[in-house]
Amino acid sequence: MTQEQRSGRPDEDRSRLSRIDAPLRAPFLLLFGSAALWLMLSSALSLLTTLKALPAGIGSYEWFAHGRLEAAARNAFVYGWAGNALFAINLWLLAQLGRFEIRNGWMASVGGLFWNLALTWCTGSVIVSGPGAYALLDFPVGAGPVLAASFALAGLWPVVAYAKRPTGHNFAAQWFVVGASVTFLLAFLLAQAAVFWAPASGVVQAVAHSWYVRTVHLLWLGGSALGLGYYFVSKVLARPLHAYYLASVAFWTYFLFAGWTAPASLIGSPVPLWIQSIGVVGSMMLLVPVLLIGLNLLGALSRDGGWFRAWNSTSLRFISIGIVSLLASLAIAAWASDRSVNAGLRFTSFAEGQNLLLLYAGVTFCVFGAAYAALPRVSGGRWPSAAAIHVHFWASTLGAAGAAFAAFAHPSAHGFISAVSAALLLIGHLAFASTAFAALLSGVPAGESQPAHD
Amino acid sequence: MKNFRYLVLGALAATALPFVGIVVGAQAQFNSLGRAPAEEGGPLMPPLEPGQAIQGRQVYLSLGCVSCHTQQVRPAGQGGDIAGALGARPSVARDYVLQPVVLLGDRRIGPDLANYGVRAKADADVHLAILHKVGGRDQFGFLYSGANHEIPSERAVMLAAYLRSLRQDYSSPEAPLK
Ligand code: HEC
Repeated sequence: MTQEQRSGRPDEDRSRLSRIDAPLRAPFLLLFGSAALWLMLSSALSLLTTLKALPAGIGSYEWFAHGRLEAAARNAFVYGWAGNALFAINLWLLAQLGRFEIRNGWMASVGGLFWNLALTWCTGSVIVSGPGAYALLDFPVGAGPVLAASFALAGLWPVVAYAKRPTGHNFAAQWFVVGASVTFLLAFLLAQAAVFWAPASGVVQAVAHSWYVRTVHLLWLGGSALGLGYYFVSKVLARPLHAYYLASVAFWTYFLFAGWTAPASLIGSPVPLWIQSIGVVGSMMLLVPVLLIGLNLLGALSRDGGWFRAWNSTSLRFISIGIVSLLASLAIAAWASDRSVNAGLRFTSFAEGQNLLLLYAGVTFCVFGAAYAALPRVSGGRWPSAAAIHVHFWASTLGAAGAAFAAFAHPSAHGFISAVSAALLLIGHLAFASTAFAALLSGVPAGESQPAHD
Repeated sequence: MKNFRYLVLGALAATALPFVGIVVGAQAQFNSLGRAPAEEGGPLMPPLEPGQAIQGRQVYLSLGCVSCHTQQVRPAGQGGDIAGALGARPSVARDYVLQPVVLLGDRRIGPDLANYGVRAKADADVHLAILHKVGGRDQFGFLYSGANHEIPSERAVMLAAYLRSLRQDYSSPEAPLK
C-alpha cells in the first residue's frame, strides 16, 4: 500500500503526460470555461438577492422576485459552476492518476454543450416563469432527461479513465471521484421519478427531495472535493498521507452513511418519526468518516510544517481550507441534528450558513485549488497574474467568512454584511474567471503539441 | 478489474440504499393515506380545495413565496411553533394528501403560513399582506394595478383565495384538537 500513497508523480515522464493532457484541452476549455461563466452569473444573482433586502434595492419586477433570483442562483452555482467544473477537473485528475489517454474527448464536449444548453433553458425558465417547489429540482420536467443524457456523456469519464487505466494504480482519490461520478446520475433519475414521473404521495415528495439534495451535496460534490483533497495533499506535500491504511474505511463509511443523513433536514416536519430518527443517527454515524478523513488529510498537513507549505502553495492553500470547511460543516451538521439544538436552528438562515460552508468554502475552494494546478497543464499556458490570484483568494475568503457570519449570527446585520460579502465574492470570481480564461486561451493550440497516437 | 466492479457497484448501492429505506419506506407507509374523518361519521378532512385556491397555488409556486415562508407547524416539544400560535396543533402528513406538490418550505424569513387562512380576516388584509408593504416598498406590486396598487389582478385574486384556504385547524385522527 505504501508505494501507492505517492499519488503525486513528479514530471519524470513529460511526453507521456502531454499525451494525456493535450487531448483534454478542448473538452476542458469548454467545460471549465462554462463553469467560470456560471460562477459569475450565480454570484451576480446572489448579489441581487441580498440587495433586494436593502431599502434602496431594485424595484418590484416579477423576474426579480426574491424566490426566482435565489433559485436561479442556486441552480447556476450547483449545476452550472460545480457541475461543469467537476466534469473537467475530475476527468483531468483521473486521467493523470490512471495514465489514461482519452480518445473520444469530443463526446465530453458534446455532453457539456447539451448540459449547458439545458441549464440555460432551466435558468431562463426559473426567471421568466418561476421556480418549482423543490430546490435543485426546480426546472421544466422536459429538461430532466436532457440533463441526465448530457451527464452520461460528460460526467462519467472519470469512471472510464479508472476502468481503462493502463497502470494498476489504485489511490483513494480515484475511489472518491469515481464514486461521486456514478452517484449523481442514479440520484438524479430516482429523484426525477419520485417527484415528477411517478409523483410520490404528499410529504413523501419532501422526503425524496431531502434525500436528493443531501446526495448531491455530500456524495457528488462533497465526494469529488474529498477526492481532490486526497490527491493534492499528498502530491503537494510530496509525502504519504497519515494513516493511509484507513483511507478505504474512510471512503466506504463516507459513501455508506452520507445518504442516510438526509431526513435530518426534516426534524419536526410532518413526516414519520422513524424517518427523522434515521436522519439523526445517520448524521452521527457520518462523524466516523469525518474523523478518519481528518486523520488522513489533516494528519498529513499537521506534520513537519505541512500547514506552512500548504499556505505557500496556491493549490493547497485553497484545498486545505476547503477540506477543513467541508469537515467542519459535517461536524456542525451532526451537532445540529440533535433535536433540541435543531428546534432552535430550524427555519433560520443556519442552513444557508451550512450550505455555504459545505458547497462554497468546502467544495468550491477545493475546485479552485485544483484549477490552479490543472489549467496550465491542460492548456499549456500559465496563470498570467499573481496579483489576480491574491485578489481572488482574499476576496473569496473574506466574502465567504462574511456570508457565513451573516448566516450563522442571524438575523441582525443580515442585509448589509450579506450584501458586502456577496460583492466581495463577485469580485473574487471576476478575478478568478478572467485569469482562468487568460490561462486557458494562452496555451499552444492543441493541434501543435499533440503527438500522433501510436 | 475486480476493484473496478466493487467500487462502482458499491457506490451505486450506497446511493440507492437510503432511497429505498427512506423514500420507498415512507411511500409504503403513506400509500393509502387519504382524507379521513376525525371521528365516526364526521366530515372528511382535509376539505377539498376550492378551484381558485388550486390555481392560486401555482401563483404561489411561480413567485417563489416558498423561499421565505414555510407551511408546517412543528409539535409542541420541537420548537416554539405551537407556543407562538402558528397553529392549534402540529401539522401531520394527512394534511397534505390533496396537494399535488407540498410546499413545506425550509426557511422562515416571513411567518409560517400553514394556518394563514385562520388568521386572515378580510380579503383586503390578504392583499395588503401579499404586497408586503415593508418600508414603503411593494414587493409584489406587479400583481396589482391602480395608483396605490389597490386593484388586484386575476392572479392576485387566485393567490388570495389560496392563502385564505390555508388552514389546519380541524381535528385529525393523528392530531386531535383538544
Ligand atoms: C423575501 C422574503 C419573502 C418573500 C419572497 C415572500 N414573503 Fe411574505 N412575508 C415576508 C415577511 C418578512 C413577512 C412579515 C412582515 C410583513 O408582514 O411584511 C411576510 C408576511 C407575509 C404574510 C402575512 C403573514 C401573517 O401571518 O400575517 C403573507 C400572507 C405573506 N407574507 C404571503 C406571501 C406570498 C403569497 C408570497 C409570494 C408571492 C410571499 N409572501 C413572499 C417575507 C417574504
